[in-house]
Amino acid sequence: MREPKTYARNYEIPEEELTYSGSVSCPGCGATLSMRYALKALGSNTIVVIPACCWSIIAGPFPYSSLTVPIFHTAFETAGAVSSGISAALDVLGKKDTTVLAWAGDGGTFDIGLQALSGAVERNEDFIYVCYDNEAYMNTGIQRSSATPWMAWTTTTPVRHPKEEPKKDIVAIMAAHRIPYAATATVAYPDDMIAKFRKAKSIRGAKFIHILSPCPPGWKSEASDSIKLTRLAVQSKVFPLYEIEHGEKVTINVWPKDGGVPVSEYLRLQGRFRHLSEDAIAAIQAEVDRNWERLLKKAEMSMP
Amino acid sequence: MKKETEAKVVTFTSEAEMPMMPASVASTLYNKTGSWRYMRPLYANQTPPCNAACPAGEDIVMYLQLTAQGRYAEAWQTIVRENPFPGVCGRVCPHPCESECNREHLGGAIAIHCQERFLADYAAAHELDLPAVDAPPREERVAVVGAGPAGLSCAYHLRRMGYQVTVFEAKEQPGGMMRLIPEYRLPRKVLEREIGAIVALGVEMKTGVRLGVDLSWEDLQDYAAVFLAVGQSISRELGVPGEDAAGVLHGIEFLAQVKRGQKVGLGQKVAVIGGGNTAMDAARTARRLGAEVTILYRRSRAEMPAIDEEVNETLDEGVKIEFLCAPVAVLTENGRVRGLRLTRMELGAPDASGRRRPVPVAGSEYELEFDTVIPALGQVADLSFLRAEVQTERGRIITDERTATACPPVFAGGDAVTAFGTVTAAVGSGKRAALAIDCFLRGIERPFPDLAHNVQAAPRRRDPTVVRFENLNTAYFEEEPRPQERQLPAAERVTSFAEVNQGYGEEVALNEARRCFSCGTCNECDNCLIFCPDVAVLRGDSDDEPFVFNYDYCKGCGICVSECPRHAIVFEEEVKFTKT
Ligand SMILES: Cc1cc2nc3c(=O)[nH]c(=O)nc-3n(C[C@H](O)[C@H](O)[C@H](O)COP(=O)(O)OP(=O)(O)OC[C@H]3O[C@@H](n4cnc5c(N)ncnc54)[C@H](O)[C@@H]3O)c2cc1C
Ligand SMILES: Cc1ncc(C[n+]2csc(CCOP(=O)(O)OP(=O)(O)O)c2C)c(N)n1
Ligand code: SF4
Ligand code: SF4
Ligand code: SF4
Ligand code: SF4
Ligand SMILES: [Mg+2]
Repeated sequence: MREPKTYARNYEIPEEELTYSGSVSCPGCGATLSMRYALKALGSNTIVVIPACCWSIIAGPFPYSSLTVPIFHTAFETAGAVSSGISAALDVLGKKDTTVLAWAGDGGTFDIGLQALSGAVERNEDFIYVCYDNEAYMNTGIQRSSATPWMAWTTTTPVRHPKEEPKKDIVAIMAAHRIPYAATATVAYPDDMIAKFRKAKSIRGAKFIHILSPCPPGWKSEASDSIKLTRLAVQSKVFPLYEIEHGEKVTINVWPKDGGVPVSEYLRLQGRFRHLSEDAIAAIQAEVDRNWERLLKKAEMSMP
Repeated sequence: MKKETEAKVVTFTSEAEMPMMPASVASTLYNKTGSWRYMRPLYANQTPPCNAACPAGEDIVMYLQLTAQGRYAEAWQTIVRENPFPGVCGRVCPHPCESECNREHLGGAIAIHCQERFLADYAAAHELDLPAVDAPPREERVAVVGAGPAGLSCAYHLRRMGYQVTVFEAKEQPGGMMRLIPEYRLPRKVLEREIGAIVALGVEMKTGVRLGVDLSWEDLQDYAAVFLAVGQSISRELGVPGEDAAGVLHGIEFLAQVKRGQKVGLGQKVAVIGGGNTAMDAARTARRLGAEVTILYRRSRAEMPAIDEEVNETLDEGVKIEFLCAPVAVLTENGRVRGLRLTRMELGAPDASGRRRPVPVAGSEYELEFDTVIPALGQVADLSFLRAEVQTERGRIITDERTATACPPVFAGGDAVTAFGTVTAAVGSGKRAALAIDCFLRGIERPFPDLAHNVQAAPRRRDPTVVRFENLNTAYFEEEPRPQERQLPAAERVTSFAEVNQGYGEEVALNEARRCFSCGTCNECDNCLIFCPDVAVLRGDSDDEPFVFNYDYCKGCGICVSECPRHAIVFEEEVKFTKT
């Protein structure tokens, strides 16, 4: 094959493809792209565990698969438990270098799967748990979850009764378990995401990666905006990219350029926020600023 | 499961054929998701604004990208495919390309002319030759009249197409007006190297032959086509009393004498009349000969036709400019100049050129003393030799957009036609003529856009739509400043004819090439490949096609289109089903 030119490259990404074309995810699906990066980073010696979610479908109908690595399909609330079991089985077989990757949606993580997850990470099982967070139950038609942002539209939080509760801070919950590694990542920053998967793979014990995954039909956004949206989520500090080691050491990995952009730039590209008043946007901005300040303080405290 | 590369549809004919557990046995490649798509991405190679603005049709973005990879020789070859004068143009072209450059919005336009110059100097230092003529030889002979940039460019391109070309030049040396551009802006060796390289390709050069005097139209019968590129050689008169006095010396005559090494006695005080490049050059040359120089111009600074940078350099060198004044008489004493009588001017209503017309202010006349007066009011063409069939209008030859005159085998271009007055425009017009003559001789019709300003003698696949700043994804670009060209300090400049602008070195050139956005032109940043959720972007196997879309699976999400930093991909509607 022809040697690619590299002088203008923006990212260093492994060439090998471990996901297939032909999956049935929607055009512009962030969850699909996240899996592509994750497997590029982890390599073929990986077993994927998928509870009920969009990815149960994206992975292909019987007898087809969209991954080149084994997948175990399991029940909605069980990703943590099943991964623990597979990890234990591998241990018994002496296969220490196989990575177990639990791959669940926000519903399966923040809500129904939280107990199994909490149990598994509390036992510090050796696996990587990914929550690809599209901020609602997308596979069943966009119902709210505890990951849905405050005031966002979903089919169960219609415009006249938008969601009144703030998004649950899942990474703080995981960090509170004092696990070796918890991190956030998103598709607009592939280098960062791949570095985090590689780091997670190198650590024994429970690792948690929270991925913001744009979902064009659920967010009522343009499919072509999926990368732009997550770039704006990071640049507006709505979704900062950071990692927490052993529940204590907080490191911010991507700093917003020139102080960042207002949240309105992120919100206005999504139909699920179209109904927001100026006041609501100002309240979101205030909340985002407060969270960012808190994160900064935690990061400062962990500096040597 | 081994990685599959081809779609495989699985059909179980009995339960026994099915796996024990519901386990997958094939990949999702069976599912051609391309059928979902109603918009599709396309690698379009749209045109950057710099390329579109270059009167010589240079493929600027290509040579900047080659420079960015350190491929200097190929970069130079990319320029000379379109313009055999990069050393000259890199120094004297007013660079309309830079005025259009999209980088302007993020730190300043790319210093394109300095890059061009860097590559030409690199080629000179490494003694690179023009690519040899590889087209099959053609029988037809073509005559080119006038060896200025228009004539030489036409001869060069026709030669490269395989034609036998003879250039007839009235003067003893080829080069046209480029010869008069002073040494401090265009060193003779730069011009000579580039002209020599054209001649070395096998262009026959006959100097000292003036059409209409040494050569007749009958003599041209043996040629299948003729290209007239005679420029504008007659200086405009002042049209005031006393103009014939000793000490009145026309700008181009003065510059020619100095270039020939002739001694010119100027006296102490010199007046230069006019506001164009010739006026600036005459003034700066006189400064270098030790005179005290005043430029007299009848309009204001904003209307000056000279290149802005050159006006600044002229002022830096201590030349005074008096605006809004015009001579009414040359004052003489014993048949020699002693000064000028001038009138103040004011700007009235705009004229045909759109500039405000200067009108004399009644009763404002005054006198100034000068030893020499140099009128530099521009030139007109000497068309006395023309055949009646070739039509003219107000001193210019009339042609169509393809440079054809009313008299079929005769084509014309350069200053004699357009009066554009730049080397680069002349080069472009010569190239257009070469393509038009080729079509004419082979009896083929080409649509006009093919002959437009950015036509190429060796085209690459490209869409003429121009990429603007709004089309770029600026998330991938930082604001970065434009580098400064090295320049001799003004005090040192006026003591010699040493070159004023010194260009810049390799390190700066490399960085500057990397600062280019590469508008519309894929430079393999890999974004489209990396961001496609559906693995529908594949690496291609040639430089012309570094990536290909796998339309069997591309869902048409448009992510690659939005995340391409430089708009090298377009999104187009795809009609798959038609009603029958
Ligand atoms: C002092 C000066 C400074 C300039 N500075 C710049 C600058 O900085 N940047 C820029 O872009 N442009 C500049 N120009 C303008 C530029 O040089 C001209 O626009 C360009 O040379 C025109 O090219 P041409 O081939 O049409 O004509 P010319 O260069 O005028 O060439 C015409 C040739 O035809 C010959 N010829 C004429 N009649 C006949 C005949 N009957 N038979 C045979 N040969 C004949 C002439 O001798 C001449 O060699 C400058 C011009 C001058 C005078
Ligand atoms: C116990 C149980 N309840 C409900 C369902 C139906 N169900 C399947 S996927 C899904 C939503 C999953 O949401 P999330 O985890 O956020 O993943 P997403 O579909 O958004 O990717 C639901 C409710 C189920 N499979 N099992
Ligand atoms: S509904 Fe959303 S998460 Fe699910 S496949 Fe479509 S885009 Fe992806
Ligand atoms: S940035 Fe580069 S390609 Fe774009 S207009 Fe400027 S020089 Fe041309
Ligand atoms: S990103 Fe992939 S699927 Fe989307 S339009 Fe481009 S090639 Fe097609
Ligand atoms: S994204 Fe990069 S690699 Fe893809 S077409 Fe644009 S410039 Fe080329
Ligand atoms: Mg979800």
